[in-house]
Amino acid sequence: MKEYASEGSPVRALDELTLDVAAGSFLALMGRSGCGKSTLLNLAGAMDFPSSGRVLLDGVATGGLDDAGLTRLRREKIGFVFQSFQLLQTLSVAENVELPLLLAGRAQARPRALELLEAVGLTEQAQRLPHQLSGGQMQRVAIARALVHSPVLLLADEPTGNLDTTTGDAILQLLKTVCRERQTTILMATHSMEAAAFADTIVRLRDGRVESMSGAPAGMASS
Amino acid sequence: MGSAALLFRLILRPMLRERGRSLLILVAVALGVSVVLAIDLASGAAAGSFRSSMQTLSGDDDLEVVATGGVPEAIVGRLARLPYPIRISPRIESHAAVGSSGETVPLIGLDLIAEANHHAGEPVAKAWDQDGLQHIGDLDAVWVTRGLGRKTGDHLSLLINDTTRDFVVRGVIPETSQLGTDAVAMDIAAAQAATGEAGRVDRILIKVPEHGDVEEWQTKLRAALPAGTELRAQGSQTDANRKMLSAFRWNLRVLSYIAVLVGSFLIYNTISVSVVRRRAQIGTVRALGASRRAVLLAFLAEAAVFGLLGSALAVPLGRVMASGAVQLLSKTVDALYISSRPGALTISAASLLLAFLVGTGVTLASALSPALEASRVSPTEAMARGAREYAVRVARWRDLLWAGVLALAAVAASKAPAIAGKPFFGYLAAILLIAACALAVPMLVDSGLGATSGLLRRMLGVEALLASRSLAGSLRRTSVLVCALATAIAMMTSVAIMVGSFRQTVITWLDTQLPADLYLRPAGDPAADRHPTIAPELTAKLAALPGIEAVGRFRAYEIEYQGLPVTVAAVDIASPRYDSTSGFASGRPQQVVMRELAEPRTVMVSEPFANKHHVKAGDTLVLPLGEQRVPLRIVDLFYDYANERGYVIIARQNMLMYLPDQAASNLAVYVQPGADLETVRREIQQAAVGRDILIFSNAQLRHEAVRIFDQTFAITYALEAISLLVAVMGLAGALLSIVFDRRREFGLLHYLGASTGQIRRLILTEAGLIGILSNIAGLVLGVALSLILIFVINKQSFGWTIRFHWPVGLLLGALTGVYAATVLAGLYPARVAQRLNPIEVVHED
Repeated sequence: MKEYASEGSPVRALDELTLDVAAGSFLALMGRSGCGKSTLLNLAGAMDFPSSGRVLLDGVATGGLDDAGLTRLRREKIGFVFQSFQLLQTLSVAENVELPLLLAGRAQARPRALELLEAVGLTEQAQRLPHQLSGGQMQRVAIARALVHSPVLLLADEPTGNLDTTTGDAILQLLKTVCRERQTTILMATHSMEAAAFADTIVRLRDGRVESMSGAPAGMASS
Repeated sequence: MGSAALLFRLILRPMLRERGRSLLILVAVALGVSVVLAIDLASGAAAGSFRSSMQTLSGDDDLEVVATGGVPEAIVGRLARLPYPIRISPRIESHAAVGSSGETVPLIGLDLIAEANHHAGEPVAKAWDQDGLQHIGDLDAVWVTRGLGRKTGDHLSLLINDTTRDFVVRGVIPETSQLGTDAVAMDIAAAQAATGEAGRVDRILIKVPEHGDVEEWQTKLRAALPAGTELRAQGSQTDANRKMLSAFRWNLRVLSYIAVLVGSFLIYNTISVSVVRRRAQIGTVRALGASRRAVLLAFLAEAAVFGLLGSALAVPLGRVMASGAVQLLSKTVDALYISSRPGALTISAASLLLAFLVGTGVTLASALSPALEASRVSPTEAMARGAREYAVRVARWRDLLWAGVLALAAVAASKAPAIAGKPFFGYLAAILLIAACALAVPMLVDSGLGATSGLLRRMLGVEALLASRSLAGSLRRTSVLVCALATAIAMMTSVAIMVGSFRQTVITWLDTQLPADLYLRPAGDPAADRHPTIAPELTAKLAALPGIEAVGRFRAYEIEYQGLPVTVAAVDIASPRYDSTSGFASGRPQQVVMRELAEPRTVMVSEPFANKHHVKAGDTLVLPLGEQRVPLRIVDLFYDYANERGYVIIARQNMLMYLPDQAASNLAVYVQPGADLETVRREIQQAAVGRDILIFSNAQLRHEAVRIFDQTFAITYALEAISLLVAVMGLAGALLSIVFDRRREFGLLHYLGASTGQIRRLILTEAGLIGILSNIAGLVLGVALSLILIFVINKQSFGWTIRFHWPVGLLLGALTGVYAATVLAGLYPARVAQRLNPIEVVHED
């Protein structure tokens, strides 16, 4: 369960939610605004913690980690993709992609970043600044950045929300490929049925609870 | 939308929301204004005391007669015998150190019976009551002001010239507007005996009939006076003192505006940030019907809020600072100009007006450009930060070109002469250089950060890369911050170089000026215009002591020349030791100049004198000496840093022809080669038993001179420190607003795996980079400004030749300190950044 205090009274963002996500699966979270999609992504990404209950990532309870442990967890196991790309405008494309490795103090950051840029088809744009790219290119850079440290879990919050359909489909296809080829688990929050169709499993949330689940039995939900 | 609502939503609400940042900017403005107010109050208080020091008990007289070394007493009788209905009041004016406290106060000798008659019925006359006046013939009778804490019948020991004697208080002078300072009064005959001025008085005050024309009387009376005496309007000495001090006060005032100048950069930055940050809001309120004028006024109102509140805070702060400053100032004035006692510090309506005019004026002027920019935001415009930053980026080359043009203009301005003794073009050159630096800073920031970001990343890690890129990305904001800090650093550097060069010049000069082994002067506080004397018999006694090779005598007199106070001194020109280096403008050896000075009717003048009165070697001065006006040829100009009044030096044997006064103000004792210095010193002490004489060794005198020098410039350092404090506080405020504006970036970094320590290091690195860039710009600008200070402003204001010298240790220490302070300024903003909730800041739109 996750509760927030809003103007003094508690608001329950997630309620008695249990979700098991198998490694290497692509799971789409659907539901109206405020249904708890982003809260669930933040809990999964160890950016937030449940008011009661626990989140296990690779068998490790995130709530039991101190600040250094959480930072290490994010550096090693989690990648994030946002709706508005969230690239640093003052860094080049290659520098944006290598940033998680630099923050973690890992060696060989630049070759690895270029490798990822090649994977997302942006080798030519490596030295450009983000404002010189199209929206689709920016999101591909964001995906490369989210994958540069080989996370086991990729969390994507409305990754196609700011893109046109064609570009959005390309991005979703890319995510699907990543999931298949790298065995990266993907949790994607989306409003779009078309986007959710790319996932193996679709979980519908309503008022913080799992309303329904469809698709291949990669995950199991109960509320 | 109403203006009030607009003001509240666009301006006041954000100010309240960011209380920490608003408070820092407010305090920075308050500090800047308070320095201006403090210097205004303190220099006013110091100036106010000049009237009271020697004109104590002057009354309502119209004219005064003075002469070099005193007016012969016979002239009092001559004036009294004239068939005119005038009142004549002769006075002895000296100083005495009060035994218990050591405090030096004016000692005034008056014709007390006449005073009691003149001032009958006035409060001051209560002191001269009949009980007291019956002691008028006693040589130990004194009347004291209430402030000295004595009552009638008390004993009081006073050091007058080289002798301390016991006196009896015969009356207490009530506090009146005629006083203004503590003083000791005596009957004139007793004062003449005490000061050794038999047969002379220092001043004769004259009161002409009520309805007479003072100038007409001046003409009439001048005919009755010998040529060597001067008849002038009473109080003209005060004007002369004011005039003499005007350059000192002027430069001090200019220096006090530095903190405000630094503050103006910060206000400009604050309002610019407000505008950039609220472009979308401005667009929205414009779409809803707000006029351009309303937007302009709203942003000017933000500056006005800082200006008004800052000024209000500055008033009590300035008053506190003034009480510290006035002590420092009066010591400087004593050492370099004239005996003074600080007057009362009063915050007048004019001081309040000054504080509010400076506070609001500077903040409004600084805010005008960004406020105009805000008013030009079109209703359709959304966030346009990138476009604005781009505009600054593309203008770098153009700005650099303008910086070059302004720097050339500064060079041209520095060549122009002073106007009415004020170095206006020197100030203009300094302002042009600061403006040139401000225009060159964006290029420095952009190219400096661009060239070093890779190196920084390798040396200091990813935080340095992020810091350098984000600073370069917000070029306008970074440049303004660097400008503010660089200006403060430049001022500190330039003043440090100027003072350091001056100090080194003085130390080198002391080597040529102090060839003797021991120096003697009467005890008591020294001051530039006080010359207590040593009895001539002591000089003769010392010359005869074994182990002493020679005794050089120095006797100083105060005169007024062309409306300015000047010290005329008689010296023994024969010296057993001449310094090999020349201390003369001509570069000639000392021995050659001294030989020329031995000729009758010759003088040498100090550099400040030559500068003030526009004279050179070969010119002729006409000085009042004794009863004559004597034409004297200038044989050379000598470098002198003892005081700013200016010296005219005459060979002692020539002076005695006009003023046959044997007493000396100072003695220089040359010890025979091989004689033991300490033994000679003890012999001198024994010979001087019963007299209060201070004996300084050569090293002690040097040390004392340097101590006075350092004390003189203490206030300069205090002003510099406050300017830097303003800059560092402003930087902390600006970093806080950077944290606020980039909160999403910091949140994102958390998502990407940054630790809280890395976020802190990122902010501290930004602060450090701003510190390094500011130090570079500040050092370059500071060196350029120091050249203007040394060779233009100082030369035109005071006339001193200062040789350029790098105070390397001082500069290194100061710049390191500033760098540490800029990094520390990042601590609080870094703490705020660490506490941001990444989820909230990344998802807010």
